Amino acid sequence: MTPATVQEPAFGRGGFAAIAGLLVVWELLGQMHLTIFVPPASAVAQAWWGLVTDGTLFRAAGSSLLSLLKGFVPAAVLGVALGLAMGRFRSVRYLLDGWINAFMSAPLSALVPVLIALFGIRDTVVAATVFLFSFFVIVVNTTTGVRGTERSLVEMARAFGASEAALFGRIYLPSALPAVMLGLRLGVVQAVKGMVVGEMLISLVGMGERLIYYGNTFLIPELYAVIVSVLLVAILSSTMVQACEHLFVRWK
Amino acid sequence: MAEPVGIAIEGVSKSFGTLQALVGIDIGVKAGEFLSLIGPSGCGKTTLLKSIAGLNPIDAGRIVIGGRTVSGPGGHEASLVFQDFALLPWATVRENAEFGLLLRGVPPSERAEAARKALHKVGLAGSFEQAYPAQLSGGMQQRVGLARALAVNPQVLLMDEPFASIDEQTRRILQDDLLRMWQEERKTVVLVTHSMEEAIYLSDRVVVLSPRPGRVHKVLDVPLPRPRQALDVRASGDFARLVDELWQILKKMQ
Repeated sequence: MTPATVQEPAFGRGGFAAIAGLLVVWELLGQMHLTIFVPPASAVAQAWWGLVTDGTLFRAAGSSLLSLLKGFVPAAVLGVALGLAMGRFRSVRYLLDGWINAFMSAPLSALVPVLIALFGIRDTVVAATVFLFSFFVIVVNTTTGVRGTERSLVEMARAFGASEAALFGRIYLPSALPAVMLGLRLGVVQAVKGMVVGEMLISLVGMGERLIYYGNTFLIPELYAVIVSVLLVAILSSTMVQACEHLFVRWK
Repeated sequence: MAEPVGIAIEGVSKSFGTLQALVGIDIGVKAGEFLSLIGPSGCGKTTLLKSIAGLNPIDAGRIVIGGRTVSGPGGHEASLVFQDFALLPWATVRENAEFGLLLRGVPPSERAEAARKALHKVGLAGSFEQAYPAQLSGGMQQRVGLARALAVNPQVLLMDEPFASIDEQTRRILQDDLLRMWQEERKTVVLVTHSMEEAIYLSDRVVVLSPRPGRVHKVLDVPLPRPRQALDVRASGDFARLVDELWQILKKMQ
């Protein structure tokens, strides 16, 4: 069985309505001045614009996005490659399945001390966190995709005399593609999590550093402005992967 | 057009672990014959068919198609047709019909030509070529499966319950179309089925296999006149009598 893929856009019309509603409630709550931790939405918007115009947000986001890219691209390439190997070769699967599943379910933040020891606290460590957070879900989904290949398709190709390479390229790979794309989409969301964790807990750079700074200095509207920006990065990355998915998986 | 060839199945045995699937199977399929394999589930009829295709290595005995002893998959004599159609969901109808030729390294222009002819034979020419399988009904999907099998111009068609998951009306139409194609192309057909009517209606001979372990229990000749699709054979008393005879054989086996 191939895992079901979600075909709805990440942000439909209903999504926008819900967000608009939330903004209104937020604004009203903020205007009541109950606590400084709930500033009105308009104040956050103002702070956000301020951070955009003075370049703070671009500097922070630039550094963050670079780490995201440096971590996610290797995770995607190696994750898909390893997933394909694990899906196709039982020996590889037996060897690595336990490890992959352990890392899948482990709280990866626990590895922070190890990462600091390995990479120091420069921004490479953020890329490493991004990699660790996104790698395993990509491996697991790719493996599942390959293993979900219909038996009869394999028999059909073999009956026509398909070589191992043809079997892999023409049956297993396209069969696994929807699951691979789902893995990449879940992976990129994990990658953003890894980015924030890395920047807040380890390296203090990029958007994570801004979150810590505004939190500690009680610049609450700015804090929210950065949180919203992180959300935007997550949504945009996921949407971009989804666009690729629509490009590659056209038959569904 | 390729001359039809016979299939010799001699003393074939096959087990999966401790389970004996087939024991001492001897069947001679004549060149150009339409032969059905029928029997209760567990009788190994699909196992035998896949062994003929070279997909299941056998433990003992041998299978010879034409002059060649089957030693593995990929032989050019036979094409398989699957119960679940086994179409590539990511490929168009035309790409699916061409797939066997693609795997055999046939150049694109020849592929396109052969696939177009095969699709025409199964009644799917023209507008369907660019559709994806998911856009087609089950009956039409199996026509694509049949076109893919025919496109490589095999001498033998091996069909594994090809119409089992297709509704009754469509199934009858497909059976008639299959008979017409078989008469035009003179291919040897081995059909696995669980439908007694289908076995009698289509076949020259029906081989009844008994289960656990799979053995040849009985071979039933079907001397109904051809072309059956034109003669309304289904409505004849002889047809009903033969179906009943087959039923009596299967019933006693329970």
